[in-house]
Amino acid sequence: MNDEISNPKPQTSTALTVPIWIIALMLTLIFLGGVYFDHHSGWFNPKVYAPYKNAEELAFYQPLSGPGQLLAMGKSKYEQNCGTCHGTDGMGKPGQAPPLAGSEWVNAKDFKRLAQIPLDGLNGTIHVKGQEWNASMAAMAAGLSDADLAGVLTYIRSSWGNKAEPVTADGVKSVRAAVAGKPAINGETQLKTISE
Amino acid sequence: MKSSFPIFLAVFVALGASFGGFVIGAISQLGTAKQTEILNGSGVYPVQRTGDATLGLQVYRANGCAACHTTDVRQDGVTCDVVLTGMGKNLRAVEKVLGNFNTNELPKIILHNATKEAADAVSDQITTAGGQVETHIIATGADISRGWGIRRSVAMDFLWDYPVQLGSLRAGPDLANVGARLGNLNWQLQHLYAPQSVIKNSAMPPFHFLFEVRKLNGATLSPDALQLPLTQQPNEFLPPPGCVVIPTEDAKNLVAYLLSLRADVPLYEAPFTPQQTSTNSAAEKK
Repeated sequence: MNDEISNPKPQTSTALTVPIWIIALMLTLIFLGGVYFDHHSGWFNPKVYAPYKNAEELAFYQPLSGPGQLLAMGKSKYEQNCGTCHGTDGMGKPGQAPPLAGSEWVNAKDFKRLAQIPLDGLNGTIHVKGQEWNASMAAMAAGLSDADLAGVLTYIRSSWGNKAEPVTADGVKSVRAAVAGKPAINGETQLKTISE
Repeated sequence: MKSSFPIFLAVFVALGASFGGFVIGAISQLGTAKQTEILNGSGVYPVQRTGDATLGLQVYRANGCAACHTTDVRQDGVTCDVVLTGMGKNLRAVEKVLGNFNTNELPKIILHNATKEAADAVSDQITTAGGQVETHIIATGADISRGWGIRRSVAMDFLWDYPVQLGSLRAGPDLANVGARLGNLNWQLQHLYAPQSVIKNSAMPPFHFLFEVRKLNGATLSPDALQLPLTQQPNEFLPPPGCVVIPTEDAKNLVAYLLSLRADVPLYEAPFTPQQTSTNSAAEKK
C-alpha cells in the first residue's frame, strides 16, 4: 500500500470490470431460481404439502362430492358473501348485522322467510333474540345460484349450535320465483306476512 | 483486528439467517397450529391423546422405536375416480355418454386413475345427462400402496406429540397409521412380547422386559394376561407351563400410544375421499 502511495502509477480502469457474461449468467440463475421458487414453494403456506404445488392446486383437489358437499360449499360461500357483516362465527356485528347463531329467524321450521331475506333484501325493524335491529341489508344472494344459496342456508342452519332442517336448491328456486321483481322487504311486519 | 466488524457482521448474518429460517420462519408458519375440523366430516382432528397413550409416547421414545420406525407416510401424487351412483331419470342420455351397461351394478367406477380436470369433465357430462356421480380423491404413492396410510402425514398429525417421534430409518414398517391398520390390543402386546410369533420373519427384537412371566399357582387369571398364542404354531414363544405373561404398565402404555396413531381422516392439507366400502385396492393389500 505504502509503495503505491509513494510511487503512484497511472490509473487504469481494467481492474474493475466484471465480464458481462458472468453478470448475465447470475441474473439468469436468479431469475430461474425465482421461477422455481414460485412453482414449488407454495409461498410458505402451512397448508401446502407435496404433491400439491400451491394453494390453488390444493383447493382444486378438495373433494366436494359425496356427504358434506353442500356444507363445505355453503361455508365457503357464506364466508365470502355474508361473513363480513354476520361474522364467520355467526355472531353478527353490533349495531350493523344481527347474529345468526341462535336466531329464531334462522332456526325457523320453514326456511321460506329466511330465504327471502338474502334474495330480496331487508330494510327496517327486526327483532332477533329479543333485541331490536334496524336492518338495511341488500339482496346479497341475487348473484348466487340456487344451489349456492341452498348451501349457505343449510350451513347457517346447522352451524354454531343451530339445528334446523337443510335447504334444497329446489326450495330456493321456488322462493326466488316468488320474490322476483318485488322491492326489498320492509321490516319484520312484512316478513311475517310471508306464509311459513 | 482491523476487520473485526466485518467478521462480526458475517457471523451475525450467517447465524441470524439460519435462526430466522429454522426457528422464526417455522414458528410463524406452524407455531399457531391448532385442532382443525375433519374435511367434510364432523369433529376435530387430532384429539388429545389419552393419559396412558401420552405416557406411551415416552416409552416409545425411551426404547428407541423411532430408530427403526418412521411415522411419516409419503405421498407422490393424487388421482381421481369418478363413480356413477345413480342413473337419474334420463337413462338413455347417460347411456349415450357411457355406452350400454348393467344398471344393477351401481355404484360403478366409470373413470379410474384420472386427473382432476378429466374427472370434472366426465362428471359434468354425466350431470348434464341427468346422472349422479361422485368424484373420489385418492392419494397415491409407494407408502400408500403398501397399505401404511391413506394419505400423506402432515404437521397436524403430530400436534400433541412432544417430542415428535418422526424417525428417519425404516428397518420396520411405518407406524403413522398403525392404530387403524392393526387395532387388536392383544395382537399388539403379543407382537411386542414375541414379534416372530405373529410375523415369522420379523427383524424386530422381542421386548421381554416390558412383560412379566408369573406362575399362575392356581390363582385367578389376570384379565390383563396375554392370550397366548394367537396362532397355534410355533410353541417356542409360549411361557413355561403353568405361567402367564402379564404386560407391565409400560407395555400397556406403549400399546395405547400405538393404537392412538391413526392418521386416517381427510384434512384440508391432505384431502382424500373416505371409502365406506373398501373399493380402494391399496387398503386391502397387506
